[in-house]
Amino acid sequence: MNSKLVLIAALICISSYGQEGKKVQFVGGARSLISHSNFTSENDTVTAPKSTGGYALIDLGVKINPNANTEIMGMVRIKNEFGGFWGGGVSFDVRQLYVKGVAGNAVRYQFGNIDYKLSPYTFYNHNPDLLVPSFGTNRIKEDVLNYESFYNNNTWRQQGAAINFGLQFPKVIDDITFNGFITRLNPTDLGAILERLYGGGNMVIKKNNFFSVGLNHVSIFDLKGTGTNEGAYRNHVNTLTYDVFLDKKSYKVGIDGESGFSAVYTLTSDTKLSDYFVHARAYYKAKNKNFGAELGYMDNGPDFRSFGAQSKRIDYNQQNSFYQRYTNEQVVRPLSMYDLYNDPLRYSNQISERIMAYDPVINNALPYGAATFNRRGFYIGASYADSLKIVELDAKYYALQEIRGQGSPDLKRFNFVQGTAKFNVSNWTKWKKKESIQIGMAFQQTTRNSASIYEQINLNSLTLNAGVESELIEDLYLLGNIFVLSGTGNESIPIRDTNGDIVNFSNYSISGNEINISGGLRYNFSEQVYLAGIYESNANTFSTNPAYRFNQFMIYYIMKF
Amino acid sequence: MKKQSIFFILTILLLGCRKEEAGKFDGPSIDDLNSPFSVVTDLESSRDSVDFLAGQTVYFTAAFSKTVAWKLRIIGDESGAEKIVTGLNKMLDADVFTWDGSTTNLPIFKDENCHIELTFEGETDTLTTMVKVITPKTNNGFLIADFDGGFNPGWSFFFQSGLDMNFSILNDGTAPQGEKHYNMEGTVDWDYLIGLINFKATAYGETSFPLNSNPDNVYFNTMIYGDPIFVNSIILFQFEEDENGDGTFNGASEDMYSLEIPVNWIGWKLISIKYSDIPSLASGVPVAANGNSVHNSDRISTINMLHLANPATGHARSQLDYLIFTENGPLIP
Repeated sequence: MNSKLVLIAALICISSYGQEGKKVQFVGGARSLISHSNFTSENDTVTAPKSTGGYALIDLGVKINPNANTEIMGMVRIKNEFGGFWGGGVSFDVRQLYVKGVAGNAVRYQFGNIDYKLSPYTFYNHNPDLLVPSFGTNRIKEDVLNYESFYNNNTWRQQGAAINFGLQFPKVIDDITFNGFITRLNPTDLGAILERLYGGGNMVIKKNNFFSVGLNHVSIFDLKGTGTNEGAYRNHVNTLTYDVFLDKKSYKVGIDGESGFSAVYTLTSDTKLSDYFVHARAYYKAKNKNFGAELGYMDNGPDFRSFGAQSKRIDYNQQNSFYQRYTNEQVVRPLSMYDLYNDPLRYSNQISERIMAYDPVINNALPYGAATFNRRGFYIGASYADSLKIVELDAKYYALQEIRGQGSPDLKRFNFVQGTAKFNVSNWTKWKKKESIQIGMAFQQTTRNSASIYEQINLNSLTLNAGVESELIEDLYLLGNIFVLSGTGNESIPIRDTNGDIVNFSNYSISGNEINISGGLRYNFSEQVYLAGIYESNANTFSTNPAYRFNQFMIYYIMKF
Repeated sequence: MKKQSIFFILTILLLGCRKEEAGKFDGPSIDDLNSPFSVVTDLESSRDSVDFLAGQTVYFTAAFSKTVAWKLRIIGDESGAEKIVTGLNKMLDADVFTWDGSTTNLPIFKDENCHIELTFEGETDTLTTMVKVITPKTNNGFLIADFDGGFNPGWSFFFQSGLDMNFSILNDGTAPQGEKHYNMEGTVDWDYLIGLINFKATAYGETSFPLNSNPDNVYFNTMIYGDPIFVNSIILFQFEEDENGDGTFNGASEDMYSLEIPVNWIGWKLISIKYSDIPSLASGVPVAANGNSVHNSDRISTINMLHLANPATGHARSQLDYLIFTENGPLIP
């Protein structure tokens, strides 16, 4: 046995399953929201300015552990719109349903709802639309939409199955873990639409304190024969992830990254769209000094397609449900940052096999996160916190450009600065009550120089969020926020056909801003239960639509159990 | 760190493998899209006349100074049929669009002269040409009725004895296909049923309609006219399956699937539906079928067409033409 490799089946993260206690637990949450809004736009005599609404909901889940290695979870949601009673306005939904456990003390599995991610270029829920971290009143809103949409640690909520197991080795390497998943993206209609699945997995080899290497594969694929369509769709992505490092007591230094290639085609097509990407990063972290630095390079090919990592949370072609139309002409009110923070219904967990639309003012440099195609360039970042965590700083700068032009051989260049500064006043003053101020900002500049005046682009945008959380008396917090999104300049927005090919361009010109000023109080009954009252004023003066403003008062009651 | 540095450098060197993209770009040239528009070569058809029955097609050529959003309308001088195509190109040729005789807006093209108009978004230019249709396109499938040859003696009929009843074949130049269509109207204030036709497979010399046995591949198509004044007609098609092949339909033990169509539009409209999507109905509500509950498209023995209307709504009128089964897809007229 000594001369041979000894494989030991390892149970990974089994502790979360091995509940020795209750066999049946109730878990869930409850939330109530009441809001009153007053909407104004110039000379608008048609739109009803005031609206009041709200709801109460309870998510009631039953977690059953029939044995130490199995967990069954079912959660229903009962929601009642304010004003509805005796069944009117009440809805019942199944919110979660899964079975998970450990088979043979070695293989972890889960069926039903799964929250899953693999790597940033294969299967990953990037968040490229909320570029600055939330604080103060905005943090309540972002917590609500993350809870509603199951956005947690960049995972996508899907329906399917996942397995995971590991092997440990006595020498050379420490362990190998294997992960696999399969989900269903859409059912067949027995005709032109075939059964479409999404599956993949990875193998990660680790040598503790030295390296980690992973092979990742994901595929979106149609099942042939589930309809009359012979042109079954395929999107294959294969990548290599790596992290080679030197981990010392006082510092850690290393190189990590991901590289791979993709292919998109149908079985009846003669053409295949394929490309590759390379993303490498050198990093350094001084453990005792709370200082970190990184230098990275990315080269994401113009035809690199990985829809599990390039799908956006928000479909920018959808319409609002809140003050959907306004002005005397009843024009459609486009999506705004207000909607992104306040309306969880705008978000989705659907993996889109088409290139999704985006708002160039919100994020033009990396609209699909790190997996954005047709980008090449460097980035540099640094983070610092003093020993008492009085000041926490984090900043990153990207210098990117296109690899292939769009409508022009001249390339767009992107400068993108992103940073957060947090000042924990109470750490400085030694107050018992918590007092913090946080400022986050993201500035983007897009330029394209060309001899043709029609091809010249110059777009600048700024996202700024300054927030305060101040504990007035024990468990009672004063919250405040100023959120600004501003944009000026022009861009040329590609219009794509159903295959993703660019067929035209839309001239986009913008100036103006959206400013949201809010304040309120929050009382924590416990760590899991709080009541908050928020007043906010939101003004939108972007030139792409008639200016409007609304003032709103909201009361949140949030409980988790 | 030496090993890590080498690895990092090797990774960066991989970038050198990328093929040269300089000078290339995706999509049409923006500079070109914004330049002044002019017609470089006029609109021409590839042939003066076209025989679609013989498998001929016709395409159109034209060239412009820049990529432009265009709209091509082919209008039948006699029928008023319309084929409309749009695109974004710098030139028209066979690869951009080739006309196979199909129609966008009913009626179907006849043997007639056609006028072709080419217009451009944001421009005032209109280019025109002509082409003559010698024989219109024919559609593959099993034709149940187009009424051009009159009534099939194998069909059976029933009409209520109401007021202003008119169930007749019209030849007034408004048929969406061919020359004639079927008119159905009357006032029946005691019953939903105004009149019906039984299209029996035996009328075509068959015990059941000769169709593919896979109901997902069989499509039922018909053209229905919605009257602008009397918007109360309901057309109900019942598909009776002789599952045991004994030559008769037994409603208690065999399947009948029903397609109920409220005629709530004005003008002619093509209705196409996959046979497997047609439900079993009782009083308009989906119910389990009485037989094997399998859509046996190769066992349909009779199709009943009922013209219905709420008796409280008074006079009802609609028209019918071109009932045809197609396979592997709906009718493209």
